[in-house]
Amino acid sequence: MARLILMFNKQVVKEVPLLKDSITIGRDEENTIHVDNLAVSGYHARIDIAGDDVIVTDLQSTNGTFVNDKKIVSHKLVHGDNIIVGKHVILFVASDTGAIPGQEEQKMDMDKTMMLDTAKQKELLAKQKGVAKAAKAKEKVGVVSFIDNSGLGEIELSKKLTKIGKADSSEIKLSGMFMAPTVATISKRPSGYTIGFAGGMTKLKVNGEIVKENIQLKEFDTVEIASYKFQFFQKEGGAKE
Amino acid sequence: MIVKATGISDVGLKREGNEDAFSTDDSLGLYIVADGMGGHLAGEVASQVSVEMINKTFRKWIDDEATADEIYGKPDNTLSLLGNYLLGSIRLANRVVFEMALEQKQHHGMGTTVAIVLVTPTLIISANVGDSRIYLTRDGEMEALSKDHSLVAEQVELGMMTEEEAELSPMKHILTRNLGSGEDVVPDIFEIEPANDDRFILCSDGLTDLVSDDEIFEMVLGEDNPEDLCRKLVDTVLDRGAHDNTTIITIFISDMEKRRDGPIKIVGMLIVDLVTGIQKAIKKIIP
Repeated sequence: MARLILMFNKQVVKEVPLLKDSITIGRDEENTIHVDNLAVSGYHARIDIAGDDVIVTDLQSTNGTFVNDKKIVSHKLVHGDNIIVGKHVILFVASDTGAIPGQEEQKMDMDKTMMLDTAKQKELLAKQKGVAKAAKAKEKVGVVSFIDNSGLGEIELSKKLTKIGKADSSEIKLSGMFMAPTVATISKRPSGYTIGFAGGMTKLKVNGEIVKENIQLKEFDTVEIASYKFQFFQKEGGAKE
Repeated sequence: MIVKATGISDVGLKREGNEDAFSTDDSLGLYIVADGMGGHLAGEVASQVSVEMINKTFRKWIDDEATADEIYGKPDNTLSLLGNYLLGSIRLANRVVFEMALEQKQHHGMGTTVAIVLVTPTLIISANVGDSRIYLTRDGEMEALSKDHSLVAEQVELGMMTEEEAELSPMKHILTRNLGSGEDVVPDIFEIEPANDDRFILCSDGLTDLVSDDEIFEMVLGEDNPEDLCRKLVDTVLDRGAHDNTTIITIFISDMEKRRDGPIKIVGMLIVDLVTGIQKAIKKIIP
């Protein structure tokens, strides 16, 4: 099915499938594609399906309608055409297409970094946004669950950097004669949660092994600090972004 | 704690101008690399404005002792106060570049990445938008403290593509986030505690396009000061053709209170172990 991709400043604003035989574009809210911009007339242009053809027609707009920078009155659209209405660009994507004809015009210097802006990449991004949204909904947050007699129970790691120790400012406060103000820290990194020994007299043990520097935490790792013992795991429904 | 940092930016061998920008502020402990994009050197404007805005805004909030609520946009309560300062200043820089891009025709579509590291004696914060990277080498291992906001990186993360495929993809420079293309931006920010002999590299993709992570890691371990490391990285890029602007900042941390065990400490720890053992035993008997 053919689609129209409304873009402003190379960012996708909206995607509209061509379901009806006739759709209108303009600033008035009644339009199928409502573009809220002063450079756009109340009813600016219309797109009609006539058999196999898709035709864009200017509706006597003040600033005119352009296709690929050429001012038009009525124009038969081909895949990849850019319809310019005011400062907005509407990309026409024909149904079931692979390569974009006329891509010579869209010379992409692949060595240069750029923001997404062609139909193909937009398609990919749309697909991945769907998957990513699902993944985001299941974003996990780290939790430490105390399995000793300390009564500290389950504590969610709601901060990017969690300090563990005697200090009042610690997110996880532990007490004890030899407890350092900060004995260890747990930080959330791109690779996951990592626990690191910060200093002091008490030892940090993960799964029974002494850790003097940093180690990545895996599900159900058991951590011991002095007489405290807790397990690390992750649960769904992380902190808000 | 002693922090030594060096920054360098090279236009490379193929580009007309340098659209990268960077800043190193040792008094603030703030280090920024920005890789600009946009036609006709508009990228230069985007990257320089961003670096300037972030420095200015961050400094202002420090001087004013702003609270988290006073930053630009809603604060993130998974972050520290300084983390929120960085978050706010990135958002503000984004807004400025975005508005500038709309205003003038020659700036249309301009944008920039940013990679930032903040170093304080008790906290290190990394923040990034785009595909400029931050690497930390610690305890003989190198890890990334930034997330690539590129189409291919996100596909790799979602399992839609392998890392090898991503390397070879013609789309590997296409970004999904940058400063300037939208009203809002979501940077990735991480906070960690500093450790002695931590070594950081911030770089634009001019470096990572031509030098692999393993090679970078080897060079980090092989040099003992940031200037030499910086120079070595840039020279390697130039040797390999330098098709893009390349900007690198290297940061070495030293003279931090070591965690190594001295004799008194070892005895102390033995005593603690003994006491802890007794406490545990008592807890088992009398829960």
